[in-house]
Amino acid sequence: MPTIEDLQRDTDSAVAVAAPTSVATPAPPRTFTPRKKKKPWKSWLLFLLFAGPNVALLVVFTYKPLLQSLYYSTLQWNLGSASAIPVGLGNYVAWFTDPGTSRVVTVTLIFTVATVGGGMVIGLLFAVLLNRKLHGRGAARTIVVAPYVLSGVAVGLLWLFVFDPNFGITAALLDAIGVASPPWYNDPHWALVMVIIVYLWKNVGYVALIYLAALQSVPRDLLEAASLDGASPVRAFRNIVLPLLGPTTFFLSITTLLSSLQSFDIIQAMTRGGPLEGTTTMMYQIYQEGFQAGRAGYSSAVATILFAVLLVVTLIQMKYVEKRVHY
Amino acid sequence: MTATPTFTINRRQILKLAAVFGATATLAACSGPSLGAGAGSAEVAATDWTGITPAKEITWWSNHPGTSKLIEEEIIKRFNVENPDITVNLVTAGANYDEIAQKFQAASGTNSVPDLVLASDVWWFRYMINGQVLPLDDLAKHLEFDTDDFNKTLYDDYTFTGNHWAIPYARSTPLFYYNKAVWAKAGLPDRAPKTWAEFDEWAPKIAADGGVTPLGLGKGASWAAWWFCNMLWGQGGAYSDEWTMTLDTPEAIAAADYLQSLIYETKVATVAAVDQVADFGAGLTGCIMGSTGSLTGILKAATFEVGTGFLPEGPEGQACPTGGTGVAIAADRTPEQQLAAGMFLKFLTNSENTAYFSSNTGYMPVRTSARDGETMTKVYAEFPQFRTAVDQLETTRSQDWGRVFVPNADKELTTALEKIMLQQTDPADAFAVASTAIATSFDENVSPYL
Repeated sequence: MPTIEDLQRDTDSAVAVAAPTSVATPAPPRTFTPRKKKKPWKSWLLFLLFAGPNVALLVVFTYKPLLQSLYYSTLQWNLGSASAIPVGLGNYVAWFTDPGTSRVVTVTLIFTVATVGGGMVIGLLFAVLLNRKLHGRGAARTIVVAPYVLSGVAVGLLWLFVFDPNFGITAALLDAIGVASPPWYNDPHWALVMVIIVYLWKNVGYVALIYLAALQSVPRDLLEAASLDGASPVRAFRNIVLPLLGPTTFFLSITTLLSSLQSFDIIQAMTRGGPLEGTTTMMYQIYQEGFQAGRAGYSSAVATILFAVLLVVTLIQMKYVEKRVHY
Repeated sequence: MTATPTFTINRRQILKLAAVFGATATLAACSGPSLGAGAGSAEVAATDWTGITPAKEITWWSNHPGTSKLIEEEIIKRFNVENPDITVNLVTAGANYDEIAQKFQAASGTNSVPDLVLASDVWWFRYMINGQVLPLDDLAKHLEFDTDDFNKTLYDDYTFTGNHWAIPYARSTPLFYYNKAVWAKAGLPDRAPKTWAEFDEWAPKIAADGGVTPLGLGKGASWAAWWFCNMLWGQGGAYSDEWTMTLDTPEAIAAADYLQSLIYETKVATVAAVDQVADFGAGLTGCIMGSTGSLTGILKAATFEVGTGFLPEGPEGQACPTGGTGVAIAADRTPEQQLAAGMFLKFLTNSENTAYFSSNTGYMPVRTSARDGETMTKVYAEFPQFRTAVDQLETTRSQDWGRVFVPNADKELTTALEKIMLQQTDPADAFAVASTAIATSFDENVSPYL
């Protein structure tokens, strides 16, 4: 296979061969006139024209609120009040020293690990299943993906009834096999399990959809070659398919992590952070403190901490994980 | 194969980025609240209402309590007959009082503030300390509101620093509901237990002969700490004495001990998973403490005959809190708009409309004349259960400041009560945590603004 150097050499030689023909009709001596340098303001104008609207939207709706929130986090401010008291890092100190913070962090960690990890595994399993040539595959794909496009509040309200220990379908099913319904709504641990299940049900279709697209782009010849070499399907999946899905896994790990840490609707519709604050994640705490308690400064401090966590996690992912997934 | 693009940034770019962020940060700091405490209710200047012409258009934010959207629209229509020059825009600004309050607070300082807004028992005080609502006494005097006709407890619920900050509208109290069929099976008299001691005597019969869990209890924010007022006050305790938390008193602990004993010792009460009203309607529990606002819904949904009664008395007598919502006028509007809003508020809460609203929703008639008027008399004849609720109104008292006036207090009290009910936590420990948190919240979020 010719290398780039070979091709370059060929091109140069072609020019060299062609050159003598031009000698017969000598061209006027070519003078080098440097291209007129574009005026800098014109470049800026062009830049502003193309990037301006997007930059303006980003500044107004993303960066300004972000910085505003950072500023508010240094205030003791009742939402709705025209005045506030500067407290420096007081809100941060209050959050880090609050006895309830460890519970909120634990709930957030469990919820995030379970929904991201669980979602990726279950989503991949669904994608593998849906990638096979089965009867009714189209319908199955639609069924798996459909919950993802539903509204979170609607999903929450629906599952509110499903998990009702007196009237819900889960209670009926468990009753049929002689098991009592767990206290989904009265035990903080079961309540957390419940919202995780509902979150997975709603969002696993998204993971499956993206993995499915990635699976369909895995080159068949690689799998055939592995098969000819005697690799079992499991080994082929582990050693060929999974590494090839690396960039997709990386992409999904970031997007699902961000969406999981920001999830709100299902918790609001089903448990409102309870019972006993057993489903109060950091995101839900931001809402509770900001809008229910009206502590806008404290809420902004929690939002800033969550933002910092997300930023650090994403940077770590980009720095260390991304390097491993490119092939 | 593709090469991984490398992202590099030089010092000059970092400086540019910092400049952009710096500029935006300055911009951010320019907006928002002014610094320094004390911009609360005291700064609302008095208005001379004489010579002011009412505005032609006003906006009212409501969540239509008791599915009252059509009722509210009808009242607006009637208002327009008398005042054709004033248009009232009714806006559905939330599904409940909390959502309305969140929007109202978030709208502060913008052009989106409504002229009239619902102000529930746990929100009006925050509107006041934020300086968001108008003291209504001068305006009511100018417009000749008949304030003496209001139920005194309900009207004075909105009093602070000698002013009224809202007018009672959709007001409710907890009410004792019982399943008459279960009562009959248990051989009990057709009435609510007069005291909790009597309930203790009846409960085993309800469980054994009635075949249901005797008492259903509700949990969750805005609810548990409301009905618990009955047990707390009935034992002679209180959440607070003005701003001082009093949950460490023997009376308060005794009330929580009693509540816990119903669940874990005598086992005659259960905490509803989702909705104690739905459980009661489905016949799972023999009785509940529900809102009077649920009366119409319970009567419609139940497949059995429903009896109502006063909340049972404790050793220290009858104890029933008020609840629900009033209507306030925004401070950040022009006097013309406030005057027009006042005119509509007067119309909305006059005797005729009070009776019309109450008879259609189940909320308390907030005026004595409406309570005793023809419309409500017809309702009592058809639904005698309603009469009980109205009679109980005379025994009510305003809620403790430590629950309704301090941000996050209801949440802290709910958590404490849920610990007591769901995890059998020692009441003293649960209340101590809540009291500390509420005291801190008062110091940070109320005290600087008073």
